[in-house]
Amino acid sequence: MKEDSKNFVLFAVLAALILFGWPVISGYFFPTANPPVTKIEGGQTKVVPNPAADPTSDAPGALRDRRIVLAETPRVRIDTPALAGSINLKGARLDDLILKRYDETVAKNSPPIHLLSPAGAAGAYFGGFGWQGDGAPDANTVWTATGDVLGLGRPVTLQTTNAAGQRFQIKLSVDENYMFTAEQTVANGGTAPITVRPYTYVQRAEKSPDPDQWTARVGPMVVVDDDETNLEWDEVTQAGSRFATTKGWAGFTDHYWLTAIIPDQRTPVDLTIRRSAAGRFGAEALAQNPTIVQPGRAAVQTVRLFAGAKEVKVLDAYAEQLGIRNIDNAIYWGWFKVLEKPIFYYLDWLFRLVGNFGVAIMLLTLTIRLLLFPIAQKQFASMAGMRALQPKMKALQEKYKEDKPRLQQEMMQLYRTEKVNPMAGCLPMLLQIPVMFALYKVLILTIEMRHQPFVGWIRDLSAPDPLTPVNLFGLLPFTPPAFIAIGVVPILLGVSMWLQFKLNPQPADEMQKQVFAIMPWMLMFVMAPFAVGLQVYWITSNVLTMAQQWWLYRQHPSMKVATAK
Amino acid sequence: MIARALILMARFWQVGPSRILPPSCRYAPSCSAYAIEALDRYGALKGGWLALRRIARCHPWGGCGHDPVP
Repeated sequence: MKEDSKNFVLFAVLAALILFGWPVISGYFFPTANPPVTKIEGGQTKVVPNPAADPTSDAPGALRDRRIVLAETPRVRIDTPALAGSINLKGARLDDLILKRYDETVAKNSPPIHLLSPAGAAGAYFGGFGWQGDGAPDANTVWTATGDVLGLGRPVTLQTTNAAGQRFQIKLSVDENYMFTAEQTVANGGTAPITVRPYTYVQRAEKSPDPDQWTARVGPMVVVDDDETNLEWDEVTQAGSRFATTKGWAGFTDHYWLTAIIPDQRTPVDLTIRRSAAGRFGAEALAQNPTIVQPGRAAVQTVRLFAGAKEVKVLDAYAEQLGIRNIDNAIYWGWFKVLEKPIFYYLDWLFRLVGNFGVAIMLLTLTIRLLLFPIAQKQFASMAGMRALQPKMKALQEKYKEDKPRLQQEMMQLYRTEKVNPMAGCLPMLLQIPVMFALYKVLILTIEMRHQPFVGWIRDLSAPDPLTPVNLFGLLPFTPPAFIAIGVVPILLGVSMWLQFKLNPQPADEMQKQVFAIMPWMLMFVMAPFAVGLQVYWITSNVLTMAQQWWLYRQHPSMKVATAK
Repeated sequence: MIARALILMARFWQVGPSRILPPSCRYAPSCSAYAIEALDRYGALKGGWLALRRIARCHPWGGCGHDPVP
């Protein structure tokens, strides 16, 4: 008993450490969920503004309004099912891009996401194509366009001719998602040869507003052959980090958005990530070898620029069909990719079946429990078999009362000769941990889970529960600190786990009993800041375990008597 | 040296996660105790291999009972 109480004190101390240390540790290692999209005030669900997207927030005075900047230069409109915006004819820049399918917040009247913005406006972020060399057009060159709208199946050619008679052409086309393709042509109509090196670039004035996290990297990213490198913002220097490659790409990834420059996958290029003197972050791909174009000849190369949302299927298709290596890894899957992707695709399939991601998560739980059911059943059957051994075990317990290790050994011997075993081993339990982690990553990473409602007040399954009894469900006019603001769903999680433990036979060990008494409530606190979707998974899992227990007891009526005793 | 580190890992498992899981061992001694003994007696390579094989044996369709380190 003494040993037990010592253990219990140790456990209590550990529990307290975990409880209070957890927010600190988890904040670092496990960003728990996406930021809340709603808060509940006075019984009303209010949409929290997205600080990252507000163009007027803390913009330095020198920055002008986006609309004013856009109106200053001639432009070609972009209009596809997924995108809106315009191309700046001054400098041939892609510097105004709106993602039509995504909103800043969950509010009905929310503005869409502005991914790219022109230099001079807040959040300047743009990309483009050009040439290095004497006589090549620069940032001040005003191009002429063959059309006034770039759309699906409606390419636009930008064109400029320099004083020496050399014509530069960029034929831009866009697909139904987020890939721009540029055919860059230099036609030498002059009398002297011209030497140029084509390049592609993306520049952004600011770091991403999304945090760079251990489980969800954000920032500059470079892929060389099959290796990808995620740089940190602070690692980017003016000298730059250079990567020489033929098969690769570079870009900037936000939590949900990506811009990537994809050079012609046959030409050797230098991919460089650097900071400009003005502090802008830049990614560029510059051909290693200059192209010499003789008079009367032309040189063509095709490059691509991705600017859009990191939709799993879209990126997978680009990786496969366009052969862009590892562009699917712009979503930071990590080590558990092999598990995360099947879970994502299965969830997505269920979602299209039922139309609600919360319900899809519940169905996913059901599937996993069904897969594990044979194990539970087998375990239960052998538990029933154990009942028959009860007298023999009693006898052994009497015989080796003083010698615990020996008793253990004799019991195991008994199980072996009688061919029963009460335990399934720890494997079935441990197997669920990677599944849980994979679901956590899928919820946090994939844009498909962003702003997905479940029921009632839950408008985003990838954020924590905003409804908490601590401020009387938002009726009291204060926002409790996040740490004690336990939502309704996490409370349900605690209750369901407590009930589930209640249904199980009580463990014989005193210490175990204590652990089981505290664990549901501890886990309630631990899980509270995580995405509601993850809690939905766990609650469903608990409920299904209880249902399974109930069903198995009905199959083996003798067991019920045993636990009732 | 490597054996020491691996034994430490097994010890960590014993005082950490194993404590809060319901008792579930099919074998005696438990996998962690088995691993510690095997690593101690046979070193990192062979001991580690023995421990791995033992863990691989421990599943609902595997064996059970008294199974000491050879």
